[in-house]
Amino acid sequence: MRTSLLRRTLVYGGFALFLVWILFPLYFTALSSFMTPSEIGSVPFHWLPEDPTLANYVAIFTGDSAPFSSGQDGGIVSSTDAVARLMPAIGRSLLVGFAVVASNLIIGGAAGYAFSRYEFRGSTLAYLLLLASRVVPAIAIVLPFFIVFRQAGLLNTSLALVISYNAFTLPLAVWLLKTYFDSVPKELEEAAKIDGASRLRCLLIIVVPIARPGLIAAGLLVFLEAWSEFFYSLVLTNGLTVPPVVAGLQNLQQFSWTTLAAATMFTVVPPVLIALAFQRYIVTGLAAGSVK
Amino acid sequence: MSAPTIGQAPPAAPRTGRPATRRRSVQGRADARFGLLLATPALLLVLGLVAWPALRTTLYSLQRVNLAGEESWAGLANFRTLLTDEQFLGSLTTTVLYAVGFLLVSTLLGLAFALLLNETFHGQWLARSLLIVPWACPWVMCGIIWKWFVDGEVGALNGALYQLGVIDSYAAPLSDNTGALVVAVLAGAWRQASFTGLLILAGLQTIPRELPEAAMVDGANIWQRFRHLTLPWLRPVIVVVVIINTIFGFMQFDTVWALTQGGPGDATSVLSIYLYQQLFVYTNTGLGSATAVVLGVIALVLGFVFVKLLYRSTAIAEGVE
Repeated sequence: MRTSLLRRTLVYGGFALFLVWILFPLYFTALSSFMTPSEIGSVPFHWLPEDPTLANYVAIFTGDSAPFSSGQDGGIVSSTDAVARLMPAIGRSLLVGFAVVASNLIIGGAAGYAFSRYEFRGSTLAYLLLLASRVVPAIAIVLPFFIVFRQAGLLNTSLALVISYNAFTLPLAVWLLKTYFDSVPKELEEAAKIDGASRLRCLLIIVVPIARPGLIAAGLLVFLEAWSEFFYSLVLTNGLTVPPVVAGLQNLQQFSWTTLAAATMFTVVPPVLIALAFQRYIVTGLAAGSVK
Repeated sequence: MSAPTIGQAPPAAPRTGRPATRRRSVQGRADARFGLLLATPALLLVLGLVAWPALRTTLYSLQRVNLAGEESWAGLANFRTLLTDEQFLGSLTTTVLYAVGFLLVSTLLGLAFALLLNETFHGQWLARSLLIVPWACPWVMCGIIWKWFVDGEVGALNGALYQLGVIDSYAAPLSDNTGALVVAVLAGAWRQASFTGLLILAGLQTIPRELPEAAMVDGANIWQRFRHLTLPWLRPVIVVVVIINTIFGFMQFDTVWALTQGGPGDATSVLSIYLYQQLFVYTNTGLGSATAVVLGVIALVLGFVFVKLLYRSTAIAEGVE
């Protein structure tokens, strides 16, 4: 009964629809990035490139905005600049991501550990308020950041992003890490304390190594959030990191979808690979972060 | 004054007890100080980076700024302006439509995916890996990918439907008011259905294997097992997912911006886009901040409902156990 024909049809039919839903848009993007603009526009649609080209990727590395034009429209300097911004943006995205992860794991890890192990006056309330701050939409509190950063001369700097990203990633990190520390048994620490280790030593020598899976999960989620962030980077920096630079390419005249597709692949492939490689950590983190 | 009797021994107890309590409380106070020390940087940052900007935004929403940059008290004038602004009201309607569509598509698809991937079939491992892929794509990229995927000239969706004979000529849904909103919902739900699926699947995997088997022995059919076993078990996860999806639906900016920038006309101008335009295009900080407060209140109300429902469902779960 369990392997009835109906069940099998439903499961494999569902599987087929699932594959189409997830892969079709991505396949189209990947396909476009290896085609010329004229081939991608051909009717009937070409499901494989007849004459695969790497020109779109070369254009991104060399900062060429119109790899397929015949050279008469060389006057569009601004769009060339826009493409040339992509490579530096990738470096800056990585830098911002690592900085946010580092500050979140240290500051958020310390707080998560404190909330898990040491009760202090108002600790429950403080923790609840920290969780509640997750509800405040980032988009709604952007103006004070803009005004303060403008006064401080920090607009258009990576530092502005590192600071502001902490607003939404730090509560997430504290939450994930507190949940994780709760699941780490206290006995080892207590034994170490009886042996005379100080609280700080206990934390650094015993807890941090045990908590590695939790730190990895939190670090990955925070990094992906920083890498993907669009709105603050758009508003506070006019596009220093990858997502707004790529989105900005859409506004250029003379810019073809095939080159944009290559840029899109650059933005999408790293987080997808990270997610696939660390799937188990990430799903655990997501489940802990949202259910507890 | 009376001589102590043997029966009145207790006075002796504090003498041995007191030093112990004192030692524990010294230890306790040092523990508390250490905890506070560790938590302080995070608390200060959240105060400075969330609480203060939220407060400041609320103040801006009650102020008027003139061309010279001088601020003056405006009371609720900005909110009254919003209520009579047709663009705002239209945007509010669009946002509700968007959020409802986003919630329904993300949640139902996510639930369907989770149920599917909880079955055993050839390729299950592949499907489980693929589920995480859309979630890993940044929101704004989902917008770009879908914009070109449904494009009226190069889009593969048109190509496929045309070759299958479903359509006679290529369609350009993004230049149509309803079409643009539908695509915006799909592009957002493409990512969020994966998130939903991942969470619900994690919930499904915590169901003890014996439960469905016992129900089957008792003669429960698929629907009865789903309705009376799976669904109640998943209740807490589904509550979480529904609220998160609703909040994300109301706050969505990236996907819609990359897809349509609010167009055609104002057809997909959700509140976040209205807010962006008020703040950074028209530099109307009063109206923009008032919109921000409206969005913030929506999120807080939803968050409050979330906590209430979750509290109730864990209470129910604990009651059952």
